[in-house]
Amino acid sequence: MIDNYTYIIIIALLPLSALMLVFQVNPYHALVIRAILGAISALVYALLGAADVALTEALVGTMLAVTLYVIAVRSSLVMRLGILKESEVEAESYFTELISSLRKVINKYHLRLELVEYPNLPALEAALEEKEVHAVCTKQKKLELLQRNRNTATDVRQTYNTAIRVHRLFEIMQSELAFPETTLTYVTVPNMEEKH
Amino acid sequence: MILALLIPIYEAWQDDDIWQKMLAFASIATKTAIMMLLISVLRDDWSIGVVAVIILSVGNAGLMLLAHLIKQLNFN
Repeated sequence: MIDNYTYIIIIALLPLSALMLVFQVNPYHALVIRAILGAISALVYALLGAADVALTEALVGTMLAVTLYVIAVRSSLVMRLGILKESEVEAESYFTELISSLRKVINKYHLRLELVEYPNLPALEAALEEKEVHAVCTKQKKLELLQRNRNTATDVRQTYNTAIRVHRLFEIMQSELAFPETTLTYVTVPNMEEKH
Repeated sequence: MILALLIPIYEAWQDDDIWQKMLAFASIATKTAIMMLLISVLRDDWSIGVVAVIILSVGNAGLMLLAHLIKQLNFN
Protein backbone atom coordinates (compact mmCIF):
# COMPACT_ATOMS: atom_id res chain seq x y z
CA MET A 1 0.00 0.00 0.00
CA ILE A 2 2.63 2.50 1.03
CA ASP A 3 5.92 1.92 -0.72
CA ASN A 4 9.30 2.02 0.95
CA TYR A 5 10.30 5.43 -0.41
CA THR A 6 7.37 7.09 1.33
CA TYR A 7 8.42 5.46 4.57
CA ILE A 8 11.96 6.74 4.18
CA ILE A 9 10.88 10.29 3.38
CA ILE A 10 8.51 10.49 6.35
CA ILE A 11 11.07 9.01 8.74
CA ALA A 12 13.71 11.44 7.43
CA LEU A 13 11.57 14.29 8.75
CA LEU A 14 12.42 13.17 12.28
CA PRO A 15 16.21 13.88 12.23
CA LEU A 16 15.47 17.07 10.25
CA SER A 17 13.29 18.51 13.01
CA ALA A 18 15.68 17.18 15.66
CA LEU A 19 18.53 19.15 14.07
CA MET A 20 16.32 22.24 13.99
CA LEU A 21 15.72 21.78 17.71
CA VAL A 22 19.41 21.34 18.52
CA PHE A 23 20.51 24.47 16.66
CA GLN A 24 17.88 26.73 18.21
CA VAL A 25 19.25 29.08 20.89
CA ASN A 26 16.16 30.88 22.16
CA PRO A 27 14.55 28.66 24.86
CA TYR A 28 10.94 29.48 23.95
CA HIS A 29 11.49 28.91 20.25
CA ALA A 30 13.23 25.65 21.10
CA LEU A 31 10.19 24.54 23.08
CA VAL A 32 7.83 25.22 20.17
CA ILE A 33 10.16 23.24 17.89
CA ARG A 34 10.18 20.45 20.47
CA ALA A 35 6.40 20.35 20.10
CA ILE A 36 6.82 20.09 16.31
CA LEU A 37 9.28 17.24 16.83
CA GLY A 38 6.71 15.52 19.07
CA ALA A 39 4.02 15.78 16.41
CA ILE A 40 6.29 14.37 13.70
CA SER A 41 7.53 11.53 15.89
CA ALA A 42 3.93 10.62 16.76
CA LEU A 43 3.30 10.32 13.01
CA VAL A 44 6.36 8.12 12.57
CA TYR A 45 5.37 5.84 15.45
CA ALA A 46 1.86 5.47 14.04
CA LEU A 47 3.30 4.76 10.60
CA LEU A 48 5.42 1.96 12.01
CA GLY A 49 2.37 0.50 13.73
CA ALA A 50 2.88 1.54 17.35
CA ALA A 51 -0.36 3.35 18.12
CA ASP A 52 0.11 3.32 21.89
CA VAL A 53 3.59 4.85 21.67
CA ALA A 54 2.25 7.54 19.33
CA LEU A 55 -0.52 8.42 21.77
CA THR A 56 1.92 8.64 24.68
CA GLU A 57 4.33 10.80 22.68
CA ALA A 58 1.59 13.21 21.67
CA LEU A 59 0.00 13.54 25.09
CA VAL A 60 3.03 13.43 27.38
CA GLY A 61 5.92 14.46 25.14
CA THR A 62 4.19 17.24 23.27
CA MET A 63 1.52 18.56 25.58
CA LEU A 64 2.57 17.97 29.16
CA ALA A 65 6.35 18.30 28.89
CA VAL A 66 6.28 21.43 26.73
CA THR A 67 3.68 23.16 28.91
CA LEU A 68 5.57 22.39 32.11
CA TYR A 69 8.86 23.51 30.54
CA VAL A 70 7.33 26.80 29.40
CA ILE A 71 6.19 27.45 32.96
CA ALA A 72 9.60 26.52 34.37
CA VAL A 73 11.56 28.65 31.90
CA ARG A 74 9.17 31.55 32.36
CA SER A 75 9.69 31.63 36.11
CA SER A 76 13.44 31.07 36.08
CA LEU A 77 14.73 33.20 33.17
CA VAL A 78 13.55 36.49 34.63
CA MET A 79 15.12 39.57 36.17
CA ARG A 80 12.92 41.10 38.84
CA LEU A 81 13.49 44.81 39.20
CA GLY A 82 12.03 46.54 42.24
CA ILE A 83 10.84 50.10 41.70
CA LEU A 84 9.04 52.71 43.73
CA LYS A 85 5.40 53.29 42.94
CA GLU A 86 5.54 57.04 42.44
CA SER A 87 8.46 56.90 40.04
CA GLU A 88 6.22 55.38 37.44
CA VAL A 89 3.44 57.85 38.08
CA GLU A 90 5.78 60.69 37.31
CA ALA A 91 6.49 58.92 34.00
CA GLU A 92 9.72 60.68 33.34
CA SER A 93 11.30 60.10 30.01
CA TYR A 94 14.54 59.11 31.72
CA PHE A 95 12.86 56.32 33.60
CA THR A 96 11.11 54.79 30.60
CA GLU A 97 14.33 55.11 28.64
CA LEU A 98 16.21 53.34 31.41
CA ILE A 99 13.69 50.51 31.50
CA SER A 100 13.76 50.08 27.74
CA SER A 101 17.55 50.03 27.61
CA LEU A 102 17.64 47.49 30.46
CA ARG A 103 15.18 45.41 28.49
CA LYS A 104 17.34 45.64 25.39
CA VAL A 105 20.39 44.40 27.27
CA ILE A 106 18.75 41.44 28.96
CA ASN A 107 16.80 40.43 25.87
CA LYS A 108 20.15 39.49 24.35
CA TYR A 109 20.47 36.87 27.06
CA HIS A 110 16.86 35.66 26.54
CA LEU A 111 15.85 37.03 29.93
CA ARG A 112 12.66 38.89 30.76
CA LEU A 113 12.30 42.04 32.83
CA GLU A 114 9.61 42.00 35.47
CA LEU A 115 8.83 45.23 37.30
CA VAL A 116 7.76 44.87 40.92
CA GLU A 117 6.28 47.95 42.56
CA TYR A 118 6.80 48.83 46.19
CA PRO A 119 5.07 51.63 48.11
CA ASN A 120 8.09 53.17 49.82
CA LEU A 121 11.87 53.06 50.08
CA PRO A 122 12.19 50.84 53.22
CA ALA A 123 9.93 48.21 51.65
CA LEU A 124 12.10 48.29 48.53
CA GLU A 125 15.31 47.81 50.51
CA ALA A 126 13.73 45.06 52.59
CA ALA A 127 12.68 43.28 49.41
CA LEU A 128 16.27 43.34 48.19
CA GLU A 129 17.46 42.00 51.54
CA GLU A 130 14.85 39.24 51.54
CA LYS A 131 15.85 38.25 47.98
CA GLU A 132 12.40 38.97 46.61
CA VAL A 133 13.90 40.97 43.74
CA HIS A 134 17.21 40.73 41.89
CA ALA A 135 17.76 44.46 41.60
CA VAL A 136 16.24 47.72 42.76
CA CYS A 137 16.13 50.98 40.89
CA THR A 138 15.83 54.13 42.98
CA LYS A 139 16.25 57.83 42.55
CA GLN A 140 19.35 59.22 44.11
CA LYS A 141 18.77 61.36 47.16
CA LYS A 142 18.64 65.07 46.52
CA LEU A 143 21.22 65.97 49.17
CA GLU A 144 23.75 63.51 47.83
CA LEU A 145 23.12 64.80 44.37
CA LEU A 146 23.70 68.39 45.41
CA GLN A 147 26.98 67.49 47.06
CA ARG A 148 28.10 65.72 43.95
CA ASN A 149 27.16 68.65 41.81
CA ARG A 150 29.34 70.89 43.88
CA ASN A 151 32.32 68.60 43.36
CA THR A 152 31.97 67.60 39.73
CA ALA A 153 29.78 69.12 37.11
CA THR A 154 29.47 65.93 35.11
CA ASP A 155 27.33 64.14 37.63
CA VAL A 156 24.27 66.28 37.04
CA ARG A 157 22.66 63.74 34.74
CA GLN A 158 23.08 60.79 37.10
CA THR A 159 19.67 60.62 38.68
CA TYR A 160 19.09 56.91 39.20
CA ASN A 161 20.88 54.26 41.16
CA THR A 162 20.46 50.59 40.33
CA ALA A 163 21.57 48.14 42.98
CA ILE A 164 22.00 44.58 41.75
CA ARG A 165 22.33 41.59 44.04
CA VAL A 166 23.20 38.89 41.50
CA HIS A 167 26.83 39.10 40.44
CA ARG A 168 26.40 37.72 36.93
CA LEU A 169 23.64 40.25 36.21
CA PHE A 170 25.90 43.00 37.51
CA GLU A 171 28.69 41.92 35.17
CA ILE A 172 26.32 41.90 32.21
CA MET A 173 24.94 45.31 33.06
CA GLN A 174 28.37 46.81 33.68
CA SER A 175 29.70 45.71 30.35
CA GLU A 176 26.65 46.31 28.19
CA LEU A 177 24.37 48.94 29.69
CA ALA A 178 25.24 52.20 27.98
CA PHE A 179 22.99 54.58 29.85
CA PRO A 180 24.58 57.57 31.57
CA GLU A 181 21.64 58.46 33.80
CA THR A 182 22.11 55.57 36.17
CA THR A 183 24.88 54.31 38.40
CA LEU A 184 25.32 50.61 38.98
CA THR A 185 26.22 49.16 42.33
CA TYR A 186 26.70 45.57 43.39
CA VAL A 187 25.37 44.68 46.81
CA THR A 188 26.11 41.48 48.63
CA VAL A 189 23.15 40.22 50.57
CA PRO A 190 24.09 37.94 53.45
CA ASN A 191 22.59 34.50 53.42
CA MET A 192 19.99 34.86 56.13
CA GLU A 193 18.72 31.32 56.08
CA GLU A 194 18.82 29.95 59.59
CA LYS A 195 20.39 26.57 60.15
CA HIS A 196 18.34 24.20 62.22
CA MET B 1 1.08 15.65 1.68
CA ILE B 2 4.73 15.23 2.65
CA LEU B 3 5.68 18.25 0.55
CA ALA B 4 2.90 20.22 2.23
CA LEU B 5 4.37 19.15 5.56
CA LEU B 6 7.77 20.52 4.55
CA ILE B 7 6.41 24.05 4.06
CA PRO B 8 5.58 24.78 7.74
CA ILE B 9 8.81 23.03 8.83
CA TYR B 10 10.79 25.46 6.69
CA GLU B 11 8.72 28.33 8.03
CA ALA B 12 9.41 27.29 11.63
CA TRP B 13 13.09 27.04 10.87
CA GLN B 14 13.67 30.42 9.26
CA ASP B 15 11.20 32.71 11.04
CA ASP B 16 12.21 34.45 14.25
CA ASP B 17 8.75 35.42 15.48
CA ILE B 18 7.42 33.01 18.07
CA TRP B 19 3.83 33.37 16.83
CA GLN B 20 4.88 32.30 13.34
CA LYS B 21 6.49 29.25 14.95
CA MET B 22 3.28 28.48 16.84
CA LEU B 23 1.36 28.79 13.59
CA ALA B 24 3.75 26.36 11.91
CA PHE B 25 3.35 24.00 14.86
CA ALA B 26 -0.44 24.09 14.57
CA SER B 27 -0.18 23.35 10.87
CA ILE B 28 2.23 20.45 11.40
CA ALA B 29 0.24 18.94 14.28
CA THR B 30 -2.99 18.95 12.28
CA LYS B 31 -1.30 17.60 9.17
CA THR B 32 0.39 14.72 10.95
CA ALA B 33 -2.89 13.74 12.63
CA ILE B 34 -4.69 13.75 9.27
CA MET B 35 -1.89 11.64 7.78
CA MET B 36 -2.31 9.16 10.63
CA LEU B 37 -6.03 8.98 9.87
CA LEU B 38 -5.18 8.30 6.23
CA ILE B 39 -2.78 5.53 7.23
CA SER B 40 -5.40 3.98 9.49
CA VAL B 41 -7.91 3.92 6.61
CA LEU B 42 -5.34 2.45 4.20
CA ARG B 43 -4.40 -0.30 6.62
CA ASP B 44 -7.90 -0.78 8.01
CA ASP B 45 -6.40 -0.47 11.49
CA TRP B 46 -8.87 1.01 13.97
CA SER B 47 -6.44 1.52 16.85
CA ILE B 48 -4.31 3.96 14.83
CA GLY B 49 -7.47 5.78 13.77
CA VAL B 50 -8.61 6.23 17.37
CA VAL B 51 -5.17 7.52 18.33
CA ALA B 52 -5.23 9.96 15.41
CA VAL B 53 -8.61 11.34 16.44
CA ILE B 54 -7.44 11.79 20.04
CA ILE B 55 -4.27 13.57 18.90
CA LEU B 56 -6.28 15.79 16.57
CA SER B 57 -8.67 16.91 19.29
CA VAL B 58 -6.43 17.03 22.36
CA GLY B 59 -3.52 18.50 20.41
CA ASN B 60 -5.55 21.59 19.65
CA ALA B 61 -6.37 21.99 23.33
CA GLY B 62 -2.67 21.74 24.15
CA LEU B 63 -1.93 24.36 21.53
CA MET B 64 -4.38 26.77 23.16
CA LEU B 65 -2.74 26.18 26.55
CA LEU B 66 0.73 26.84 25.13
CA ALA B 67 -0.48 29.97 23.35
CA HIS B 68 -1.94 31.34 26.59
CA LEU B 69 1.32 30.76 28.46
CA ILE B 70 3.37 32.47 25.75
CA LYS B 71 0.92 35.37 25.52
CA GLN B 72 1.21 36.08 29.24
CA LEU B 73 4.96 36.14 29.02
CA ASN B 74 5.28 38.52 26.10
CA PHE B 75 3.14 41.34 27.41
CA ASN B 76 4.29 41.45 31.00
